[in-house]
Amino acid sequence: MINRTKQPPISKIEKIAFLEPKHFDVERDVKLHWIDAVDDESVKIDFIFNAGTKNEQVHLARFVSALLLSGTNNKKASEINEQIDGLGGFFQADASRESAFVTIYGLKKNIHAILDIVIDAITSVSFPQEEIDQLIARNKQSFKVSSEKVSFLARRAFGKALFEGTNYANQVEYQDFDTVTREQLVDFHQKYYLNGLEKVCVTASVKEKDIHHIIDKVKGWSNKQPRNYAALLSNSPQTIHVEKEGAIQTAIRVGRILFTRKHPDYLDFSVVNLILGGYFGSRLMSNIREDKGYTYGIGSGLMELNATGYFFISTEVGKEVAQAALLEIKKEIEKLQTELVSEEELTLVKNYAIGQLLQSSDGPNAMMDRFLSIDKYGLDYSYYEQVMQTFNEATPEKIKEMAQKYLDWDELLIITAG
Amino acid sequence: MIDFKTFTLDNNLKVIFHRDPSTPMAVVNTLYDVGARDEDENKTGFAHLFEHLMFGGSGNIPDFDGPLQQAGGESNAFTSNDITNYYDTLPAQNLETALWLESDRMLNLAFTPKSLEVQRQVVIEEFKQRYLNQPYGDAWLEFRPLAYQQHPYKWATIGKEISHIEDATMQDVKDFFAKFYHPSNAILCVAGNFEEAYVQDMVNKWYRDIPAGKKTVRNLSKEPVQTDYREKTIERNVPADAFYYGFKMPGKTNELYYTADLLSDVLGRGKSSRLHTVIHKTLNLASEIAAYVLGAHDEGLLMISGKLNKGVSFEQLDKAIWEVLDSVKAHPIEQEELTKIKNKVETTAVFSDQGILNKAMSLCAHELLGIANNINLEQGIYDKISAEMIHNYAQQRLVKTNCSVLKIKASTK
Repeated sequence: MINRTKQPPISKIEKIAFLEPKHFDVERDVKLHWIDAVDDESVKIDFIFNAGTKNEQVHLARFVSALLLSGTNNKKASEINEQIDGLGGFFQADASRESAFVTIYGLKKNIHAILDIVIDAITSVSFPQEEIDQLIARNKQSFKVSSEKVSFLARRAFGKALFEGTNYANQVEYQDFDTVTREQLVDFHQKYYLNGLEKVCVTASVKEKDIHHIIDKVKGWSNKQPRNYAALLSNSPQTIHVEKEGAIQTAIRVGRILFTRKHPDYLDFSVVNLILGGYFGSRLMSNIREDKGYTYGIGSGLMELNATGYFFISTEVGKEVAQAALLEIKKEIEKLQTELVSEEELTLVKNYAIGQLLQSSDGPNAMMDRFLSIDKYGLDYSYYEQVMQTFNEATPEKIKEMAQKYLDWDELLIITAG
Repeated sequence: MIDFKTFTLDNNLKVIFHRDPSTPMAVVNTLYDVGARDEDENKTGFAHLFEHLMFGGSGNIPDFDGPLQQAGGESNAFTSNDITNYYDTLPAQNLETALWLESDRMLNLAFTPKSLEVQRQVVIEEFKQRYLNQPYGDAWLEFRPLAYQQHPYKWATIGKEISHIEDATMQDVKDFFAKFYHPSNAILCVAGNFEEAYVQDMVNKWYRDIPAGKKTVRNLSKEPVQTDYREKTIERNVPADAFYYGFKMPGKTNELYYTADLLSDVLGRGKSSRLHTVIHKTLNLASEIAAYVLGAHDEGLLMISGKLNKGVSFEQLDKAIWEVLDSVKAHPIEQEELTKIKNKVETTAVFSDQGILNKAMSLCAHELLGIANNINLEQGIYDKISAEMIHNYAQQRLVKTNCSVLKIKASTK
């Protein structure tokens, strides 16, 4: 019989093979990144616009994003969708705080035809009033549905309080849907799409001439708007409860403003985040789910924006144990501030983190994501060597120091909704 | 084309190996031929609760996730009405850790009372979070027993009610393990950049001494052929009225499954589909509407669901939906529409074959239903479907006597 009590030997990951995309200028300040190491017929093209919700009222960015294929003077929305579908293409658009994304999926044989349809539709979109009215009705309904969810209420309250005093705090309100006008949408589109293209990414084994073809098509959209990213914000700790009648669970969000990966403490703090709530075996999961059974899931994370970032803990727990769960969260944070992490736990987290980095670099689309998340901060792939080195060299003392420095309970924003 | 090799151990464990030289990662996927349909009607939700317990430590290893994370990997699982599937992703050089962990929990579980108590609570919170504490969360808990009167598809994987989860005992857990968790009832897939001989050696090393177990012969209650139109209306505190239409359709092993799939695309996949165009865009009756199939092994459902616009009645909607259904029954669809649907299927297939995890899961699922190589034949089945076949199918199946409808009415308070 084999010995089943002992783990087979494991070996460390020494090196990760990163693939540098090929870079092209769309305009002086606007790049196209291309990865051609794709072994099938798939094509994915992303367009990133300076058209996030930070620019003006939040709902305008969302509405324009949702109406990009709403029709032109020559073509109705239904015809545009029919044509894209007919070519086996898929279209996605979305807006976040700082950017808006348009993504096209298709196969090589049809991609130019799909692209032509999408580019024409975006360039000439006329925002028909009928389409706007339908979108308003849809949004009103889905806003009501979301408002029934405690997670939605907590997330909104968290965003409002975290970014207080900046555009980033803005949230869509129900009454906004009644004030939106076609002129506002036309204006937003003109400013932030037709003059707001920031970046193009192509993942496909196409030819270089195909890339130049894409560049020629979208050159005119290059960004001419100020970026106005919120820079390092000050932290505003407070405790807020959002009442939701009839809820049987309470959503909890705890967090604070922090920094981007350019900050010298970012990597060390990201190890603290992992230990606390960044993976399935984290302390919050082990305690609040696997020991107490208060929740289906709990986790923490670091969110990076262009010029600032934040830390958050997020969970939904049974209403009757909400205060007990908060107390346990506090205890786990204090434990990190007062006790040294064992070498065993630290080694596990380091190995896990580097394994995750390897996995999140697997495949051409994943590789593009790895590239974008450093390019955003003007870093190159050597940064990931620094990541591996910092993880490998993290000490229990450093973890404790970071937890003390950034996770003082009185400095945290605490939201409950339920 | 996905290349793979299969072999079977002496204890009946079926093994699939897929070599992918392009990735530094490995996947170990284990499918157990057990789902919510195999549960006792008075102990529903058990297959899923059991899936949680599989992470509570095994006979020789107190903690499942720790050693895997130590090896740079991670794991998860899902339970459906038909199967339970566990998967581990980790750096290829540490493959053996995943085989060690998975084989040990196939051999024997730890069965601690604490683990049962905690996971019971976790699953109850999952029940609340997903099914009770959000609008429309209980729609499927209501719809299934309407569409199925005998077959165990009449309950959802989370279970009929919370009390079934509260009542699960340690003896239930042990019996369930003995019955379903053994090599004769499992399919293993190893994927990554390995030599075949290495994979054979490693799988043999860790799995060959696990007792074979006895494959349970499935003897599920048969669903009688539906002959009546069924309709149910419930009131809930929701922001808008919602509707769910379900038409019985063949299970996955029947070629007509694929015809039903294409028909559902014609009806309600994407913004140029018929229901979206007519019901949402032109008549503006519904704020959202979609059609899709539930990929079930036994008799499944072709679904149409969505939400009504304010001021629209269920009667108006119902009339409009049947007009759309009658249109696909009246004439075969044009060649152009068929090509459109098939092009979307082709694009989806290319993207869903990306990554070893998708491939490993899919290979196991196909092996369970017949042979793994069907993964490479699916596109051919779709290619052969004609407008006439879809037309015939629609005429036979899109009829009232094959239909169940759930209406969720927003309560006025």
